[in-house]
Amino acid sequence: MSATASRSLVVVSAGLSQPSSTRLLADRLSAAVDRHLRGAGIEQQIEVIELRDHARDLVNNLLTGFPSPPLQAAIDAVLTADGLIAVTPIFSASYGGLFKLFFDLVERDGLAGKPVLIAAAGGTARHSLALEHALRPLFAYLNAAVVATAVYAATEDWGRSGVAAEDSLVDRIDRAALELSVAMSVRRSAVRKDPFADPVPFDQLLQS
Amino acid sequence: MQFGIFSVGDVTPDPTTGRTPSEAERIQAMVAIALKTEEVGLDVFATGEHHNPPFVPSSPTTMLGYIAARTERLILSTATTLITTNDPVKIAEDYAMLQHLAGGRLDLMLGRGNMGPVYPWFGQDIRNGIPLAYENYALLHRLWREDVVDWEGKFRTPLVGFTSTPRPLDGVPPFVWHGSIRSPEIAEQAAYYGDGFFHNNIFWPAEHVRRIVALYRRRFEHHGHGPADQAIVGLGGQTYMRKNSQDAVREFRPYFDHAPVYGGGPSLEEYMEQTPLTVGSPQQVIDRTLAFREVVGDYQRQLFLVDHAGLPLDTVLEQLDMLGELVVPVLRREFATNRLPNVPEAPVHPRVLAAQAARAAATARA
Repeated sequence: MSATASRSLVVVSAGLSQPSSTRLLADRLSAAVDRHLRGAGIEQQIEVIELRDHARDLVNNLLTGFPSPPLQAAIDAVLTADGLIAVTPIFSASYGGLFKLFFDLVERDGLAGKPVLIAAAGGTARHSLALEHALRPLFAYLNAAVVATAVYAATEDWGRSGVAAEDSLVDRIDRAALELSVAMSVRRSAVRKDPFADPVPFDQLLQS
Repeated sequence: MQFGIFSVGDVTPDPTTGRTPSEAERIQAMVAIALKTEEVGLDVFATGEHHNPPFVPSSPTTMLGYIAARTERLILSTATTLITTNDPVKIAEDYAMLQHLAGGRLDLMLGRGNMGPVYPWFGQDIRNGIPLAYENYALLHRLWREDVVDWEGKFRTPLVGFTSTPRPLDGVPPFVWHGSIRSPEIAEQAAYYGDGFFHNNIFWPAEHVRRIVALYRRRFEHHGHGPADQAIVGLGGQTYMRKNSQDAVREFRPYFDHAPVYGGGPSLEEYMEQTPLTVGSPQQVIDRTLAFREVVGDYQRQLFLVDHAGLPLDTVLEQLDMLGELVVPVLRREFATNRLPNVPEAPVHPRVLAAQAARAAATARA
């Protein structure tokens, strides 16, 4: 009788080249989340948003105040997702500009309570704490439920011997993915309130 | 249906010459544009209100009073009057005075103003923008309808036994439009009072305009002011015309590319595709404007923005000639042909006065 449970997972990748190590990391993470959710009997739809595809529309939105239809669709996908994987390259000790442009456009409560996995790719392991001092506060401001394990992939993580060793990249990806899939599986689907369909009556507005 | 011009009143360098007009030139240009609006057969001129450079119209009733004296038919309006930072008592007095001097040819459009630093210059705080809009308008609404007002609120000193003078002409309060681009609360406010709702229709895609106007209409009916399709809706629009559309695009592009509101962003072509901006032939402007009806239903007022981004006065006056000669007569005819029965005209003083007299006569007979 019971219908198969289903969740939507959106992956936002702010890599600049195609292919990029940022996207490579994003794909590894989403595959791991997919594996864990399926293991728990939960189907999911995965949508990947490459911010590079929206680069000009992001700047245009900042200058004109409204998104193009494709950018609007990307924002809506993030707002309605049951879980989010957000991956950026680290430039100058923080997230890349494209990444910030996009999340500047997400309304304040749009990510409230949403399970989010943060991850970043960078040239050197010396930048790994950018996840903790830059990305985590950004998503804390947006009231997102960021899972405990953040995943940083430096160049050396892709080519080092001993990938199966404890606390290797593979291990961290799996741990973070498990945390996200658990958070997603217990969360009820978000219902967004539409203020244009359901306005607050004026008597109430006057008293507030 | 009413057609007119709304002006922001910006002083912007002409990007094709690098020349910036003086404030004196810009103020006189706004007056010339208003007079031309009447001369070419349009109905409404609305001025913005701003209290910071590069804008000149800080004192709308002064400007509109001067224009009133030099025109016969033109309806004077604002786009917008700041209901947040102006004292509602002063709005009540200034606009009632203007209404008398203009022989009733006046309405006004209320807006909040979106520039944070302006608010404290007038003793207010932008974080109270929406509550200020509610409270100040609730007071303004009473001042024009009750001869003696006792009042207490959060944002100004209380009033005891206050009478706003002059009383509105013939006891008819100036008609009020509420302008908003994206705030459902303001659509709800307009609907609650049975006032008009205006969308500037310049900065946002049609779909956004559709949903906020639909909300206003639905709530207008909910609040008991009549059927949704009889709510009073106004739209903005932005056009630049030449006989050949290629000439229009070629001439307007530098103004678009350097305009303070969208320069450096999307291309002219992208912006035309995503918003109601129309740069082309008079026929293209006609077709695009007629299609607004499909977005918001039959509506009462169409205002065009034609004098911004550094366009020289001569060019703006040519645009007005084309609007008056080639565009608006066709729009009047076509909108009238397709209009559903029972859709009211925008309230204007003589019509409201006549309706008021008819009601009084009916009451006397009963």
